Amino acid sequence: CKKSFLERDPIGSLSDEIVANKAGINYLLIGAYAALDGQQTAQAALGGGGPWEASPTNWIYGSVAGGDAHKGSFSGDQPGIDPIAKFTVDASNGFFNTKWRAVYEGVTRSNTVLSKLKEATDMSAAEKTQVEAEARFLRGHYYFELRKMFNKVPYISDTTLNPRIKNDKEIWPFIEADFKFATDNLPPTQSDVARANKWAAQIYLAKTYLYQKKYTEAMPLFDQAITSGVTSNGIKYKLTDAFEDNFDAAKKNNSESVFAIQMTANDGTNTIANANQGEMLNFPYNSPFGCCGFYQPTQDLVNSYRTNATTGLPDLDNYNTTPVKNDQGILSSTAFVPETGTLDPRLDWTVGRRGLPYHDWGNHPGASWIRDQAYAGPYAPKKMVYWQFNQDKYKDAHSWAPGSAINVLLIRFADVLLMSAECHAQTGDLPGATALVNQIRDRMINHPENWLHKYKDDTKPLQGFDPTKMAANYKIGRYATTFASKDFALKAIYFERKLELATEGHRFFDLVRWGIADAALNAFITYESAITTDLRGGHFTKGKNEYFPVPQRQIDLTIIGGERVLDQNPNY
Amino acid sequence: QTKITGKVSDKASGNALPGVTVSVKGSNRGTATDPSGVFTLQAKSGEILVFSFVGYDPQEVVVGSGPVNVSLTEKVGSLEEVVVTGYASQKKKDLTGAVSIVKVENLTRQPTSQIANQLQGQVSGVTILGSGQPGQEPQVKIRGVNTFGNNTPLYVVDGVPVSNLTDVNPNDVQTMQVLKDAGAASIYGARAANGVIIITTKRGTGKVKVSYDGYYGTQRPKGGNVWNILNPQEQANLKWMAIANTTPNPTYADEQYGSGATPRLPDYIAPVGAMEGDPGTDPSTYFVNPEYKVASDVDAFHRIVKANKSGTDWFHEIFKPAPITSHNISVAGGGDIGSYFFSFYYFNQQGTLTNTYNKRYAVRANSSYNITDHIRVGENIEYSLINNPQIGALTEGSGIGMAFREMPIIPVYDIKGNYAGSFGKGLGNARNPVAIQDRFGTTKTLANRLLGNVFAEADILRHFTLRTSFGGEVYSFNNHSFTLPEYENAENNKVNSYTENAGSGYDWTWTNTLTYHQNFNQVHDLKVLIGTEAFNNNGRTVGGTSLDYFSFNPDFTNLSTGSGTPTNYSGSFTDGLFSLFARVDYSFKDRYLLGALIRRDGSSRFGSNNRYGNFPAVSAAWRISQESFMKNISWISDLKIRGGWGIMGNQINVDPLNAFTAYGFQRGNSFYDMKGTGNSIVQGFYRTRIGNPDAKWESNVNANIGIDATLFKGALEVTADYYHKVVKDLLFNVDLPAVYGIATVPYVNVAQMKNKGFDFSATSKIDITKDLKLELNGNLTTYKNEIVKISDAAPYFDMEARRFNGTFIIRNAIGQSISEFYGYKVDGFWNSQAEIDAANAKTRDQYKDNTLVYQTDTKPGRFKYADVNNDGRITEADRTYLGNPNPKFSYGLNIGLTYKGWDFTMFLYGVQGNKIWNQVKWWTDFYPSFEGAKSKTALYDSWLPTRQNAKAPIQETSPSFSTSNVPNSYFVENGSYLRAKNMMLGYTIPGHVLQRAGITKFRVYVQAANLFTITKYSGIDPEITGGTSNFGVDEGAYPNQRQYLLGVNVTF
Repeated sequence: CKKSFLERDPIGSLSDEIVANKAGINYLLIGAYAALDGQQTAQAALGGGGPWEASPTNWIYGSVAGGDAHKGSFSGDQPGIDPIAKFTVDASNGFFNTKWRAVYEGVTRSNTVLSKLKEATDMSAAEKTQVEAEARFLRGHYYFELRKMFNKVPYISDTTLNPRIKNDKEIWPFIEADFKFATDNLPPTQSDVARANKWAAQIYLAKTYLYQKKYTEAMPLFDQAITSGVTSNGIKYKLTDAFEDNFDAAKKNNSESVFAIQMTANDGTNTIANANQGEMLNFPYNSPFGCCGFYQPTQDLVNSYRTNATTGLPDLDNYNTTPVKNDQGILSSTAFVPETGTLDPRLDWTVGRRGLPYHDWGNHPGASWIRDQAYAGPYAPKKMVYWQFNQDKYKDAHSWAPGSAINVLLIRFADVLLMSAECHAQTGDLPGATALVNQIRDRMINHPENWLHKYKDDTKPLQGFDPTKMAANYKIGRYATTFASKDFALKAIYFERKLELATEGHRFFDLVRWGIADAALNAFITYESAITTDLRGGHFTKGKNEYFPVPQRQIDLTIIGGERVLDQNPNY
Repeated sequence: QTKITGKVSDKASGNALPGVTVSVKGSNRGTATDPSGVFTLQAKSGEILVFSFVGYDPQEVVVGSGPVNVSLTEKVGSLEEVVVTGYASQKKKDLTGAVSIVKVENLTRQPTSQIANQLQGQVSGVTILGSGQPGQEPQVKIRGVNTFGNNTPLYVVDGVPVSNLTDVNPNDVQTMQVLKDAGAASIYGARAANGVIIITTKRGTGKVKVSYDGYYGTQRPKGGNVWNILNPQEQANLKWMAIANTTPNPTYADEQYGSGATPRLPDYIAPVGAMEGDPGTDPSTYFVNPEYKVASDVDAFHRIVKANKSGTDWFHEIFKPAPITSHNISVAGGGDIGSYFFSFYYFNQQGTLTNTYNKRYAVRANSSYNITDHIRVGENIEYSLINNPQIGALTEGSGIGMAFREMPIIPVYDIKGNYAGSFGKGLGNARNPVAIQDRFGTTKTLANRLLGNVFAEADILRHFTLRTSFGGEVYSFNNHSFTLPEYENAENNKVNSYTENAGSGYDWTWTNTLTYHQNFNQVHDLKVLIGTEAFNNNGRTVGGTSLDYFSFNPDFTNLSTGSGTPTNYSGSFTDGLFSLFARVDYSFKDRYLLGALIRRDGSSRFGSNNRYGNFPAVSAAWRISQESFMKNISWISDLKIRGGWGIMGNQINVDPLNAFTAYGFQRGNSFYDMKGTGNSIVQGFYRTRIGNPDAKWESNVNANIGIDATLFKGALEVTADYYHKVVKDLLFNVDLPAVYGIATVPYVNVAQMKNKGFDFSATSKIDITKDLKLELNGNLTTYKNEIVKISDAAPYFDMEARRFNGTFIIRNAIGQSISEFYGYKVDGFWNSQAEIDAANAKTRDQYKDNTLVYQTDTKPGRFKYADVNNDGRITEADRTYLGNPNPKFSYGLNIGLTYKGWDFTMFLYGVQGNKIWNQVKWWTDFYPSFEGAKSKTALYDSWLPTRQNAKAPIQETSPSFSTSNVPNSYFVENGSYLRAKNMMLGYTIPGHVLQRAGITKFRVYVQAANLFTITKYSGIDPEITGGTSNFGVDEGAYPNQRQYLLGVNVTF
């Protein structure tokens, strides 16, 4: 028999050589962007595991662990999140492994672009530089995610031959180098809005400095971006007039979008893999959304939005003293009057609460949309929830729980202003810090038309809002005088970040880098546990829970010759 | 010519043998012995007389000068039985390898169309796990687990390797043997490692014989409350109890059950908790459109559902008695010019689970033609058609999985006859099992296969036989289904879609062999076989999904009539093998037997670095009973000691793409919306596969020692084997660390496994009286599997997270058996807070750390876990092996009794020493594991301060590490069972009664299959299947059903 009988070429795949050219590398680069959402088909995270376990919003790791929200739903669904929220978790919890894998796939794709780039012969030096800058921007982002979550992570670059290496090096310098290269080499505008531009890179570089407390390096980068920066599609950075526009699929890639993950609904995949699959659980239960009742904002968060009836400012220290009224334990069939005191209008674009318009879906009915109030409280998430009137376009029903085309804003301009404010406060420029915080508050103050209003007709929410009736008693004001001290400035900035960026996945990482995680979170757990059962027994241990554990599975898979290569974080 | 006289006697007793045929070889002269054993005939010196007599070995004697006195040896047992082995056949007495010979008549008594199901318990060395689902291919393991991948043996039908046995008509089987060790199986080289099952199909002989075999019967699902589910009031009481256990002195406020100190059942569950007279229950307000097209339409539905206060028995709503029918007609005959066999088979088994069934037709035609005395040609061919939609059982989403989750207060239908379900509040999120199974009815399948071969044989130069055979399979299949939108559940699929898949392929095997056989002076017997074989396998698949249909009418729906974006896929595969092989069998004086073989295989699945592999084996046997010193031990008729060593290979686990690093794309994984459109994506690539050009054969190094004994003149035959197998270079695609990305991991030859075990079988025939005859046929199979190595890095790999959120039920680890259960060991309950405090104090003292606790999430009534590593606290390191789903042994016993025209048979099958992970309990025994139906155990046998001697832990509203959040030993149960798989009583009407009607045989019988099962297992059925390295997890098994049948066998 001839030898060729046993020599058969692979079917239906592309070889190493075929992709090492301009077109192939561009497609690999798109693949590296596509990993931003951490999702794949078949309702799984990239590389397997539940989609939510690797959600790019970090709603579990940033917001639930940060005290913005409860896991929600009821106790038996996704119980693996409970120990994360309670800080009783160990390294064998599969959530971390899923997140770790999905993000490292992003690293791998970025590195693949960089290594194939060296083989390409049909690209000009300028083309190569641009691709390299985008790939390094993405790699910087993926490592930033890993660093802030897992602390000790192995750094694999495009030249690493054997990726089974130790995680004993500080990787901030590598992240800085990638963002620095991207800042120096990316154009200010891009032909595709999804691509990172120079300004996104510069801001991410500054954010990298900020996480290392390098305020003096970070500040000029932020400030230059604030004055001169534009989005990839060339719009000058500016806070949108309507806070809600940041969470509206119809208003995506606006002037506030510094770097976003592009989400698509009904994109022909007949799945929700590109449609916020990681958020699929986070809709009210027994509601038109179908599933699953997760991600319920906390009472602690809601209380933070109470404002002083005179000044319209929050009570930074004792915000929990007078809780905002809630419908905990009250059936939907029993009458309920919501809070009548003064509130920051951002509350009702962030939290769904009983008796108030839930977008155009009708007034939130309270208990009947909540799976288990006793377990996770009476509230519903709002920022990543689509609207009814255009749902056929921006909702994706190709799954048992909905997807949506709302972009995930990894960095939005409001975040930049507040990060800059931190730098100004830390370096002693209190007037500058005050101005930046007030800039955030001014958006709301100047646009009461964009606060939440009551419906024209409660039974016909699709007919729209009545511009003459506010949904609640809103009051928001500026800090009238310059922050009195650095301490007060920081406290005010920290609180402003909580209010502005609530449920956007930042809170836990902020608390950790501010060094106040143990005090803040233990106080939060104590307070919230008096209301709901889910956090009882939780305790943040200083020196341990600042970082999540390196997944046990990854440690086990990296053993060489019986020796562990990967170290665990302290005290796990 | 002279007159020759002589006497024939029985060798053992010396008694004269009357009626022995005596003939002169090569002439037509012959006679028979008279009543005193004496014969007379004309012959001349030098001629050969042949003595033959039924039940005795024939003998030849050369005529000399004096009288010819001959003593004949009685044939004992089955020593002369011809056994088909690889590319050859041998007499049983000459076997040197380990071969199990299946008694085909025992096999076909099992009322199923699946040969592999019939094989369960019939021979030693084979372990089979099946289910009650019609047509589901069972898991067949020969001598333990030989790989982490596909463990299916090689099936060879009429000399042609085939991909599966599912479409072979069991009535056509003539012989079946299982090649278990290298000495027997290595002739199949690269495909032998999982063992080889060889089947030959029937051929005709003699006069035309027409046979009809048929049966009709009914299958009865198990009665009673199979999952021990609470009724609606009890369910409500449990909720109250869990709330009170979590928050003492609670105020109850529940949409369905009210706010009283005892819960009250509502009259309606939709509108939520409504009582009679509520305006929402006015039928005129009802609005449900089951065939809605737009997802948001569901929001406008007004459902009215009456509470089923007596409780819906979901199991029996989906499992109903179902009929089973089988008809088989065959025509057979043969003569000097050749032979023929023709059969037609119709089989229809309706599943007891709604809309599952296995309906099939098969036609077979086997024929052979004797062109000259030395040249024969022929063919074997079967064509089959199968309709067999199957559900995925043993997972939580199936109709069965929902039947133990859907609350009994939910009726099957609402007030207008549309489905009722968990929509509402407080009814959990299970889906209506009846609706699932009814909707499953849109699944239609059709598979067909043409299977067979043509062959030619020529005898040349007296001692040589040349044979060529070309055969294989041509098959195609298609299936389509319509997904109807749901509206009745808490979580609904609101998109209607249609999916169709089709595939076709062929494979062929071309085999050429040359056999040489010569016997030298009755002393040396030499058989040599050499051969070549080529195998080629090709196929394609195609399919697609479309959605948003204007009409759900099955005549309308197809891939082109949906209005949504269609998706499609296609694929193809190809692989080939080329092989050379040789085998030598030598025997000296029928006493010392020696076999040696080698096969060299080349496979396209491997890169050129390791494309070829060699698989040798040697075996030897000593028929010790032929030695003179054994001759006078009269109770030993035959005794043979066998031994063998060899290497068997495995290649099926390697994807043909394994050698290549590849890039590709997937819309969900690597496409991205570069333009920010919100609704369209552009192509992106990613690395889909990491290549390993160095992968090579798995080799299974195998040693076997065995004895075959025929005792008490064949009244008892015993075969026993002990084996030891080391599977080296085991191909495994162990997870790579995440730093390699998500590309498909290549198979690498890193792992290693060991199996050892003992196979035993015995057959006994006892004539209790002249008419009452007993035949017993028993066997015992043991295997012990041990994983020796998995990869260079990880010492284990985990499987089956189920609802444990990333902590796994099954750990395959070095030093353990495959698929062992892993988790925390429950060591009773925490019976008081004082007990907890004491344990914590001890831990704090030991570690000098006041923040530590002995075990997290402790509370009175929760599980106390065992401190397995004795470090004074419960950590991940205390997880341990909780049970092994591999049985210690399994056994089968066939009992046959005949009395005149009556026959009675019984087949018992048992499995001992295996464990089952009863995941159903996770749903039903723990209140917080999703709202849904709960068990009596949860309410009546759970821990309370006043009921500390309980089975289940305290019922609370939240699960915890110390109850149901992590795998623990609560779920592990003893899976041993003994099952009466079959009992049959038949009566054969005496021949003379029927002869006038031209009927030679008429037998009627009644039969009961799966009549009883003795087990301690609390689930529905202790026979739990699964994957190769993840089996034994029960999450809603499709149970084997009791069957009652009436059948006939008629021969004309």
